Amino acid sequence: MTFVTPIGLVALLTIPAIVAIHLFRRRFPRRAVAGLFLWQSVRQTPEGGGKITRLPITTSLILECLAALALALILAGARLSPASVSEHLVVLLDDSASMAAVNGAGESTRDRAVRRVIAEMDRLGAGARITIVQSGIRPSVLSGPAALDVEARPALHAWTPEAPGHSLALGLRLARELAGTNGKLMVVSDVPPAQRGEPGFVGGLWAAVGERLGNVGITAAQRTPAIAEGRGAMSLTLANHADASAKRQLVVSAGEKNILTRDLDVPPGTSSLSIPLPANIGTVRVALSDDALVRDNAVVLAEPRPHLVGVENHLREGRGRDALVRALGALSGVTQAAAGHLAFADAATLDKPASPGLWRVGFGRPPAAWVRNSEATDFIGPFVLEKRHPLLLGMTLGGVVWTGATPLAANTVRPLVSAGDQVLIGAIGGQSTDPAILVNLDLDRTNLIRAPDWPVLISNIVEIRRQNLPGPERWNYRVGEWVRVRLAADPKSALRVRSAGVERPLPAARQLEFLAPSPGGALQILDGEDVLLELGVNFLDESETDLRRQATADSGAFVGASGLRAESGPESDPLFWLLLTIAGLAILANWCLLPALARSERRAY
Amino acid sequence: MPRTPIGGRVGERLGAGTGSSLEFQDYRPYAPGDDLRHVDWAAYARSEMLAVRLYREEVSPRIDLVLDTSRSIRVTEQKLHAFASLSALLACACASTLADSRVLTGAGAAPEPIHAPEDIERHLAFERPLSALEEGYLPFRRRSLRLVMSDFLFPHDPDALIARLARDSASLSLIQLTLRGEAEPEVEGGRRLVDIEGKGELDLVIDGPAVHEYRERFSRLRLGLAVAARRTGARFAHVLCETPLREAARALAAAGILEPA
Repeated sequence: MTFVTPIGLVALLTIPAIVAIHLFRRRFPRRAVAGLFLWQSVRQTPEGGGKITRLPITTSLILECLAALALALILAGARLSPASVSEHLVVLLDDSASMAAVNGAGESTRDRAVRRVIAEMDRLGAGARITIVQSGIRPSVLSGPAALDVEARPALHAWTPEAPGHSLALGLRLARELAGTNGKLMVVSDVPPAQRGEPGFVGGLWAAVGERLGNVGITAAQRTPAIAEGRGAMSLTLANHADASAKRQLVVSAGEKNILTRDLDVPPGTSSLSIPLPANIGTVRVALSDDALVRDNAVVLAEPRPHLVGVENHLREGRGRDALVRALGALSGVTQAAAGHLAFADAATLDKPASPGLWRVGFGRPPAAWVRNSEATDFIGPFVLEKRHPLLLGMTLGGVVWTGATPLAANTVRPLVSAGDQVLIGAIGGQSTDPAILVNLDLDRTNLIRAPDWPVLISNIVEIRRQNLPGPERWNYRVGEWVRVRLAADPKSALRVRSAGVERPLPAARQLEFLAPSPGGALQILDGEDVLLELGVNFLDESETDLRRQATADSGAFVGASGLRAESGPESDPLFWLLLTIAGLAILANWCLLPALARSERRAY
Repeated sequence: MPRTPIGGRVGERLGAGTGSSLEFQDYRPYAPGDDLRHVDWAAYARSEMLAVRLYREEVSPRIDLVLDTSRSIRVTEQKLHAFASLSALLACACASTLADSRVLTGAGAAPEPIHAPEDIERHLAFERPLSALEEGYLPFRRRSLRLVMSDFLFPHDPDALIARLARDSASLSLIQLTLRGEAEPEVEGGRRLVDIEGKGELDLVIDGPAVHEYRERFSRLRLGLAVAARRTGARFAHVLCETPLREAARALAAAGILEPA
């Protein structure tokens, strides 16, 4: 007899407890008699006290002890036979897209990987326990932990590798934790450990089931708008990872409309391709003819709609205004025709309310209420810059003479640039009001407008404003990248994201942030039934496109593992049922049958 | 019942003593004062000795049947049934004698006549907390035949009890009816003994020594009753409830309490 949980034997302490109860509190069956006086002179049972009397071995005591013993053995997990031990195989599947590469015979690396795992499962037998881990940036368990063979096989057959290039380290860590000391670890990839970044792999079997193949794929794609010309362009980077040039057909389509079909002779290595596109044709799909890896042969590019920043220049005439005009002229995506998003004005107007959505940049003397004293000061440095603020990205202020800086009262602005205790550039507002920037500077006397920092400052201001305009941060993403979208208004109904026919809910907020889902393609953000935005998500990963490192080889070996104790339920052991029956009968007899028997005995007397 | 009552007031039934009936009983020598009409002159002629003819007396018998209807009788169904059966048997016997029979169940209960055996049924309630014999007074009639049936399982002095029952009686018969388990208990382990008449409880391990001691005490009780009955000329019989009624009747006949018809 073995015990699964020997701690349960502690329950045997109930037996002495029952005996003690019988010793100190005898619950004798009642019996009616006619002549009690005849018994009273007989040696009577003491109510209690020091004299130890022999414990009467009653049927009730025997039944209670028997029930306690049986229940204690059940708690301790008593088994007639020792628990069987099952082999535990933990499989880490390399989920990188290159595992889907197909050779000339139409056989994919994924198929070979599945066959290899199934062969190992067959070798271990139906009683084995299988855990299947899928690698990735966030590894996940496809089946298990310690699933039965019949549960693991469907999960294995449903597996489709499609992840971009990633390290196996996290997956390996998860697999090792799941294997523990009693499981065997098996890694199935298309490359040997050294090529997969795990040259020191030990403690398991690494089965590389890849095959060296030539492949052509799109490794980069970009779609740029050309607003001025009323047309756009698309640039592609093609990678030919073969020893010879390859002929491919390139097809560009927009919806059902075929825009371009071109035969390409792609030379070995990397080559670029630029294709002009008409404006306002929406999302386009670019496809190369099939080869070993289908995943990198197509991209979907959404038509970017640039965020135009409407700028109002209210600076008074002078060299400062001229410098601002010149700096704005060098920037793209800026217009002075559209409604104002950004206003450059005299700093003295910053304490006045602004129209909603208008960010203001004030140059010159601050409003009187913000000024500590009226003595303006010039500085040649040193300047202390808040480097983490995007406004100061790329700025040094080297050689700049900062003129006309008026001392500010405490806590009026949030300092971004300062010299000593003097705030030179400060931020105002933010959470509830539209932000404003105070540039505490006399533009007519400073040399900042001739320094390289001037266009950088103006560009940073415009770009900060542009980033806060409604719309996506970008229009085309790689799989796994963060997609950040700012909506112009609160959503009217539940927000959803739809990609490759799969919809997922989004939080109802104006600022959305989510990972570009795999496998990619056109991604739509829906507000109810309305399509708010259409973005492009593409698999662009040169490391997965290159299939020349793939090989078939086994590395390492299974390490002897103790296996999993088969903790099948207690119902599988006949001793459990025997003990349960004994306990049940004993309790039933003690509670029901004994009193009934005593009653019938009294009646028969 | 004895077919020839041993005493009683003058009546229609032949008594055990000498009386004035027409049935010859015996001779005895003449004594001065005897009625000369009873002198057997023929015998004087043969033996020249005066002898007087004696005749049986005629009595009118009265039977007082005392039943212990306390709760101790219904300690088990078997005892209850046996007591009821035996009571019915005694009622039949009383009715068959054509005597003036009454049933007594206690000092507080008025004696009830027994005209038919069925009359006994209404007395078998067994709800009295005390035995009729434990009560100081029972409305016996003088010179009555007294028949007492009880388990006698109450503390008593047998001599005093039987002397009280036999006082002014024509005859006294005692029937002790008990369960076998009351007479000869067995070892049965721990028990909480509860007096059915509410005289207390007792936790007791009924083991070999306890049983032995109990049996000795019960034997002394029964022997005390038998000896006291013998001293007063009363008849005594101990009947077990488990005994079939026919066997019980035979036992009572053997004890002289009943006589075959």
